[in-house]
Amino acid sequence: MATERALTIFDVYDRFVKGRKVPEEEWDYSIIPTNATELKKKYKLNFGKNIIPEDKATMNNLFNAGLEMLVSTGFYNTDLKRVLTVTESEVMEGIKRTPKQLIIGEGRDAVRLCPRKGNGPVKPIIQGGPMGAPVSEDIFIQVMQSFAQEASVDTLVNGVMSTIEGHPATTNTPYEIRATMAEIRAVREACIRTGRPGMGI
Amino acid sequence: MRGCDPHECSQLNELKIDMAGLNMLAGWTANGNTVMIEQMPMFGGYCGGIEETAICDVATTLASFVLFSGNFHLDGPIHIRWGITTSRETLQIAGHVAAAMDANTDLLIANQYYTAAGPCTEMCLLETAAQAITDTASGRELLSGVAASRGVTQDKATGMEARMMGEAAMATAGMRVPEVNRILEKMVSSYENDYANAPAGRTFRECYDTLTVKPTEEYRGIYDRAVKKLSGLGLNLLG
Repeated sequence: MATERALTIFDVYDRFVKGRKVPEEEWDYSIIPTNATELKKKYKLNFGKNIIPEDKATMNNLFNAGLEMLVSTGFYNTDLKRVLTVTESEVMEGIKRTPKQLIIGEGRDAVRLCPRKGNGPVKPIIQGGPMGAPVSEDIFIQVMQSFAQEASVDTLVNGVMSTIEGHPATTNTPYEIRATMAEIRAVREACIRTGRPGMGI
Repeated sequence: MRGCDPHECSQLNELKIDMAGLNMLAGWTANGNTVMIEQMPMFGGYCGGIEETAICDVATTLASFVLFSGNFHLDGPIHIRWGITTSRETLQIAGHVAAAMDANTDLLIANQYYTAAGPCTEMCLLETAAQAITDTASGRELLSGVAASRGVTQDKATGMEARMMGEAAMATAGMRVPEVNRILEKMVSSYENDYANAPAGRTFRECYDTLTVKPTEEYRGIYDRAVKKLSGLGLNLLG
């Protein structure tokens, strides 16, 4: 049957609310491993020695197994302790809806993220940064500048500022927000110092 | 943050999300922001082995777009014992998942980097190069990193690791996959027995002049040696 529409965040929330209740332990220790093992058998997946697959059949079988994993298993909400379900046609509608190109950053520092289709000759976008690793407050700008000044780096991803004005940036406290705002200002400053003010962050 | 800056929301392991994530996404999508959904499937965790983790990885990647309105997905298969993304098993998961997604969709996919070794070490640069080669040759559109020393030690990240990530990606783009697999076999074999004793490396202050933000001569020398080693393994970063 045709889908009503691609799912929005609100549709997803509504489905979670109406979804079946499942204990989180059952999800983690029974449902996920059992379904993944069954699908491995069903699609006869054995990657062998290659790190990157060289045959189309393995790629297609893995994709179909993952698609079936999502459709047959659903998705779990840890606060509501409920599972939503999604149909294969809704998955396909969601794929169709997703933009296939993005512009990250602005002006002369903008980069275009678009499908490479296999190992094409165009390099991937390089997003440089500490990836959430802890960074001292007093050298935060310099650490980000070391990434922004690299010729092959296109966009930035920041580290986590360990303290803000000497206070630990503890999760779920006002200092976490203050530190986050300081991180954004520091990353912008790093971009400006390297002459790439429009860089995506 | 501008609309063109990726706003990051994380799923939870495995095939899970919480209300905080959904609420952030409701605001960002209403505002028209660029959304990056992140998830790091755990090899050896709830999913189990390599193929099982890859199956969950494809499912979670699809969910980022279909359920959570993501614009691109940031992957990161991680090894439960070593806490890294550069192990043979996690590279194999990432390589297979990217190739599967690439062969069947036009969705934009990325991967993130956590190495065992710290900055200013050859091992850290080789781990980074191995993953950049894997991600590039398997068709990923964006590489994000590097969090050296497993991303848990203070000030253990510098621009030099990202230089290796970018230059290895540039050298790999356009190569044939069987040739890439042969190079990867040799590269991963060169470091995979050293996870337990991975060199801690140096902090940012020890790797850079913090006033001029220029890397030290020591680190540039180590980088050059890593480039030479990669060249010997079949990947030419100088071309």
